Amino acid sequence: MTANTVLVLADERPETTRRGRRRVVAPLIWLSFLIVAGVLVMAALGTLLAPQNPAAQHLATINASPSGAHWLGTDALGRDVFSRVIAGARTAFFGPLIIAAASFVLGNLLGLFAGYRGGLADAIIMRWVDFMWALPALVILVVVAGAVGSSYWLAVVVLIVLTVPFDTRVIRGATLEQMPRPYVEAVKTLGVPRWKIMLFHIWPNVSPIAVANTCLVFAGSLVTLAGLEFLGLGVPPGTPDWGLMLSQNEALLFTNPLATIAPGVMIVLTAISMNLIGDWLYEQLTSRGAGR
Amino acid sequence: MIPEPRPPVAPEAALGPVLDVERLDVERLRIERIRPDRRDTIVSAVDLALGPGETIGIVGESGSGKSMTARAIMGLLPATMRATGQVRYRDRNLLGLTEREWQATRGGEIGLILQDPFTMLNPVLTCGKIIGESLLKTPRRSRDARREEVLRRLAEVGIRDPSVADRYPFQLSGGMRQRVGIAAALARDPRVLLADEPTTALDVTTQREVLALIKGIQAARGMSMVLITHDLRVAFAVCDRVYVLYAGSLVEVASSAALDAEPLHPYTLGLLLSEPSAERRTGALVTIPGSVPAPDDVAGSCTFAPRCRWAADACTEKSPPLAEIEPGRLSACVRVSEIRAEMGALRQRVEEESSSGASSPAAATRLIQVDDARKIFKNGRRTVTALDGVSIEVGEHESVGIVGESGSGKTTLARILVGLEKATSGRIAIDGIPASDWASLSARDQRKLRSTIQIVFQDPYSSLNPMRSIGSILREAIALGEPTIKDRNAEVGSLLTSVGLPPDYAERKPVALSGGERQRVAIARVLAAKPRILVCDEPVSALDMSVQAQILNLLIKLRSERGLGYIFITHDLSIVRQVTERLYVMQGGRVVESGPTDEVLSNPSDPYTAELLKSVPRPEPEWLATAQ
Repeated sequence: MTANTVLVLADERPETTRRGRRRVVAPLIWLSFLIVAGVLVMAALGTLLAPQNPAAQHLATINASPSGAHWLGTDALGRDVFSRVIAGARTAFFGPLIIAAASFVLGNLLGLFAGYRGGLADAIIMRWVDFMWALPALVILVVVAGAVGSSYWLAVVVLIVLTVPFDTRVIRGATLEQMPRPYVEAVKTLGVPRWKIMLFHIWPNVSPIAVANTCLVFAGSLVTLAGLEFLGLGVPPGTPDWGLMLSQNEALLFTNPLATIAPGVMIVLTAISMNLIGDWLYEQLTSRGAGR
Repeated sequence: MIPEPRPPVAPEAALGPVLDVERLDVERLRIERIRPDRRDTIVSAVDLALGPGETIGIVGESGSGKSMTARAIMGLLPATMRATGQVRYRDRNLLGLTEREWQATRGGEIGLILQDPFTMLNPVLTCGKIIGESLLKTPRRSRDARREEVLRRLAEVGIRDPSVADRYPFQLSGGMRQRVGIAAALARDPRVLLADEPTTALDVTTQREVLALIKGIQAARGMSMVLITHDLRVAFAVCDRVYVLYAGSLVEVASSAALDAEPLHPYTLGLLLSEPSAERRTGALVTIPGSVPAPDDVAGSCTFAPRCRWAADACTEKSPPLAEIEPGRLSACVRVSEIRAEMGALRQRVEEESSSGASSPAAATRLIQVDDARKIFKNGRRTVTALDGVSIEVGEHESVGIVGESGSGKTTLARILVGLEKATSGRIAIDGIPASDWASLSARDQRKLRSTIQIVFQDPYSSLNPMRSIGSILREAIALGEPTIKDRNAEVGSLLTSVGLPPDYAERKPVALSGGERQRVAIARVLAAKPRILVCDEPVSALDMSVQAQILNLLIKLRSERGLGYIFITHDLSIVRQVTERLYVMQGGRVVESGPTDEVLSNPSDPYTAELLKSVPRPEPEWLATAQ
């Protein structure tokens, strides 16, 4: 998604403001798309975009305040904070993206299947979901990291496993709501194969919830991953990463506060933007079919 | 658009100055929906006059603005709506009241009964509590006195069983709930009662009882009443005077008797003619083409002109005022004097016309045979017997009616026939294939069954997938029904044409279609499967009166064109009279009577059939007089 598509998306809704609330929301959505697009560009280009090498240590200028050379100052090892914030977008963005995408696919398939089939299949899937929900996520991560050694990708995989049940439950509920509708029964009596009914009839009606939910999952796992890194359970030390910077630069709060505030602000802004985009997509998708 | 000044609509005003303050007068009521970028007219101009003790009816189809009119009178418009004009009651304009002032007026002076007894009552309160809290706070009553008063109120609405006061709404039947709703609406002894479709959600036999009850209480208390309904026959039976509302404006006002005898507006005539008769079989029904427009689309001209067979240039020049044709009779038709004779002649022709039609194809091949079918639903510990040994048979090309009220098992039977439910026991054979359990059949047999029997559902608003275009819905049905067809788009066009829709509707989404158009698409979809028999589960009951007749005519036409057989599931005896040759009457999961339609309806042998027949609304006060 580039800045161009953002413009198109925002322009598609000139006079369609249906409720007063929307008028306030429209510029916010604009901003959210801009922020997410910016983070995406930073994540994709990373070090190419950074003005300085994010790993280069300048021991002469440690804990420097913002200046022309270092826009956000430097950290305790004299590394350029601005460059590290840009480079840190990669782990902040792609991890949650993979988590959201994987649990979108798995959660939707399982949820549709459980909701549509009902009976024993539903019971088994849902008891598994209940079981997964009962597990304390953070403890699992700490234990797994302790057993096989901590790594970023391990954290991503464990978070996928923990998020899929969440998606499954949401999609199953939405599917159950669609099941008794006459349009589903009508295609059943026409003899449409089950998988087609699930994917091409029920899913489009569930999709607004699925898509909005995925945006929430993205924002949630962004924050969770950052939290894990704050605890030292993710990327190896030295990697530019927002969560890690937040914890490592904590000590600099009184010398160069921006070194710890900037990554924090980025986490919060990205998460809020994703949530708002999720909301907006939900409304757009529902109005496609049900609007008047 | 500024509505034309209109003569005051008060036919009895000629009798002398009305001194009584308890009149409700609505003058030039206009309701708009406010949107950020525009205003939509919901009601363009409505004048009503309600004298003390009088009953008036507001009759209109969906989109006519009748419910919003009632809400405006009660001060209950949604926040996005604005009402202008006057609602005068006791020397005040109710439209200007503050919410605080309204609290004394609502319930106390004007009571409201709503359509849906299932959502009108708070589910977490007992019925006694619901009525008790509606009672006036003065005089203060002790707990015992309050309960006594509640029981008295329940008795007034015909509930003599005191235990009802301790029950929750969900433990009561729809009719009982509506009675409790009426008791609550009357708890503060209002002088005016507003009833918005009070019986639409009820069964036909219950409808008659509840209407008779409301009418009885009204007479006993000397209240005046505004009845809002879509059913002209109900309005004629209950009301003194009827206001016909169409696309946000009044088209005709007259006393019930006069309006029933001779409607003076083409729309009223069309409504009366499109009602199927329960008494005899007519040929094709007279329909009003199209559907109700939005008020803004017909502003500045006669609202009915686009659908009127008598429309001329004069009709679209300006918005016609409601003019007095005879004392107490108003019509908004500018051509009424020219076409009056023609309208009368048309009505007479339609009423004299009757087709024998009952010639059931003798010795038709038997296509469907159901023997002793039972269906028991288990829900936790509760079991419900929906079908209790039902046996029916349907021949090839035959049209068979299955009539009953809610809970009779008629819809369960339909769903079992098309494989959506499995019968608990019994034998079902469709075209020689044992169809008691579709899941156990081979794919070939299932396909054969699907090309034999198909179903049209009641609610056209949810039977089409809202996310898909009409074209893709139909293409899918064609691909399954006739995989050999190469040019599916051409077939979509011809299917749409055969149900009376333009082929370019394939591009549209269901949301862009009216209810009648959606039902046509649903019919086109099942036609793609080339069935020999079509189960129609209340196919028109969710539609407006003028559209009902269109769909029934379409079904009649398709039958003669394609030799389709029908199983008509309905609660409406007028419909089975028009479209079926044989009839099964169901009650409580059993068939209580069956036989040729005309015979059963003319000489019912089962008391339940007779009761159903009596419940069909007739446009005369005697219809209610015999209830209770």
